[in-house]
Amino acid sequence: MRQISYPRRLACLLLRFALKITPPDRTDWARAMLSELEHVEGNWQAMRSAFGGTVILAKHALLSAILPKGIRGPVPLGSESLLADKPLRKSTLAALVSCVVVALLFFLAPGFRQGFQVALVQWQNFIHVTGSDRDPDLDAIARRAENEKDAEALAFVAVRHRNTEESQRLSDEAVRLGPNLTWVYAVVAVHHPEVSEIDSWIQKLQPWDPQNALAHLIVAERIGIDQIERGDIPHRADEESVAWLDAMSGAFQSAKLDCYLDRLKELDRKVLVRYAIHDPYQVFESEAWSGLPSYAVWDSARYAEFLLQQGKVLESKGDRLGASEKYSTVTRFGDLLGPMARFLMRPRTIDAYRRLGEMSQRAGNEEQAVLYFRLAGQLENARRQDYPSLWEEYRRGVVPRWNASAVSVSGLVFLCSAAMGLICITVIFTKNRNLRLSTIRPGRLLSGFGLGSVLGLLFSCVTLYITYHPYAEIFRRYVQDGDESGIPELQVFLRTAQMPLGIRNLFRTDYYVFYFWLGLTVLGIRALIVMVVRQFVNHRRPGPSVAA
Amino acid sequence: VKKLRLSAQTVCLLTQFATRPTVWRYGYELSRETGLKSGTLYPILIRLAKHSMLETKWVVTEDGVPPRHTYRLTAKGAEAAKHLAKETRLPWKARRPALVGGKA
Repeated sequence: MRQISYPRRLACLLLRFALKITPPDRTDWARAMLSELEHVEGNWQAMRSAFGGTVILAKHALLSAILPKGIRGPVPLGSESLLADKPLRKSTLAALVSCVVVALLFFLAPGFRQGFQVALVQWQNFIHVTGSDRDPDLDAIARRAENEKDAEALAFVAVRHRNTEESQRLSDEAVRLGPNLTWVYAVVAVHHPEVSEIDSWIQKLQPWDPQNALAHLIVAERIGIDQIERGDIPHRADEESVAWLDAMSGAFQSAKLDCYLDRLKELDRKVLVRYAIHDPYQVFESEAWSGLPSYAVWDSARYAEFLLQQGKVLESKGDRLGASEKYSTVTRFGDLLGPMARFLMRPRTIDAYRRLGEMSQRAGNEEQAVLYFRLAGQLENARRQDYPSLWEEYRRGVVPRWNASAVSVSGLVFLCSAAMGLICITVIFTKNRNLRLSTIRPGRLLSGFGLGSVLGLLFSCVTLYITYHPYAEIFRRYVQDGDESGIPELQVFLRTAQMPLGIRNLFRTDYYVFYFWLGLTVLGIRALIVMVVRQFVNHRRPGPSVAA
Repeated sequence: VKKLRLSAQTVCLLTQFATRPTVWRYGYELSRETGLKSGTLYPILIRLAKHSMLETKWVVTEDGVPPRHTYRLTAKGAEAAKHLAKETRLPWKARRPALVGGKA
């Protein structure tokens, strides 16, 4: 009796199972495969053969379950039943070329070009792998501004340049050419607190704008950074250096807090028009932040706590005037900070108002006490609204975030479609080796990919144009008329578009949508690569003569 | 009317049949000669038979062994294969048999 190995038994079992699920009109073929298995030499070869046969029979079983019998039934025979790949028809080619031309015509619209640029911003971090702090566009503006002695354009570049030395140099040059631009020192110092010339800049800033707290906050931040670099970090405000206490005292005594954002916006608009800059990121990347030094709110909260403690001590000693002065200093600066004070500074301001109210009550000044308590109550209400207002801000940003995702996906589809189209053209011409239309015979797969790439190009261009158009309008209105309505939406849109696809809105629906399309794109690219490789292999190795 | 599409593998199989058009062939033999795996070969055989380009029959070869399915070109298939042989190149798989050895 013949000994049958386990792999071969398994192969037989596999095919027998397939035989059971095979539709009746394919049973003969299933039996044919099973009987041939007896003759295949080699156990693993038998397994492979059985597996291939099973897959085919399972496919037929599935089709029979889905399609009515008529569709799968026998096909009439005729001499025309042989179908080779048809040559590409002129009308088809004309339609395809028209679609590509229409897609490319979108690039004539400035709004579309801007949107396309925004769609590709997410890839910048991948493309600029060196992490260079140079921006060719900004460098070009700086060169032109230096040649033309344009102080405003130099200031425009200085506040944006990521290279500290270059930013410092351009700031000095801008202020030298236009002394009314001295405020640029403050903006650049906030961006680059490590600037070596910060002390001399502060000496120029303070006489230029003596009532502004910003210069003091910059000094306090610089001291804080030095302490961190030395590893000597004070935990309480009363442990801080005299220089830091002086700087914060100067800030709290100042009459105003101006981060020069209005001046910056005005300067931006002038330079954008003068230099025909259409990149919204050049404007809103710098204006999205509050304009305060990053340590400012934390430093202010610590110094306010310090003043409150001092006030309590003075109150306990019976120095009501001294205590009142301390509390008033806190409330005044809290009001100066405004919405920027929330979370850290606001509780201290509320505390200061309450203490002032209690002191007024004890002094019998009921009217003033009521006023202080009412102000404390208003701030308390604002504090309760902080988290809901953050949620409200997030909720209002849903549409711009979806639009940003649509624009980013459109950019990705455009690139993939263009790449797919180029590969198809390369394959067709490699296969045919001439440009005569009658000889171009793209197969079914190639035609599918070609058509897909053309439709992808057109669809992505239309989607990108329609989606980005409102934001292009907001940007245009801002630059031309200074109209700031819609700017918050534009900022949310730009911030979202800047993040690479796939890391936005984790655990939200568009996260899965992204991976669906990514998977589809990867599969498409894989299929194309396989197709191209096969084409090349076919051309490089001529087969033996059929007639031989 | 659904037409038979001539893939490279179909052309390869037809030209292989055309080398000995009157001889009945086994599936495994064809697989070895063309280099086509069973998952590719049988669907093509099914399609060719469906288009009446192949005729099939069961033959008993030896006792205790199940009958085998054999295939041969019909007149129409032979004509098509002859026509194709003039202008078609063989695909790359035709030169590397998928299954080596065995009884044909």
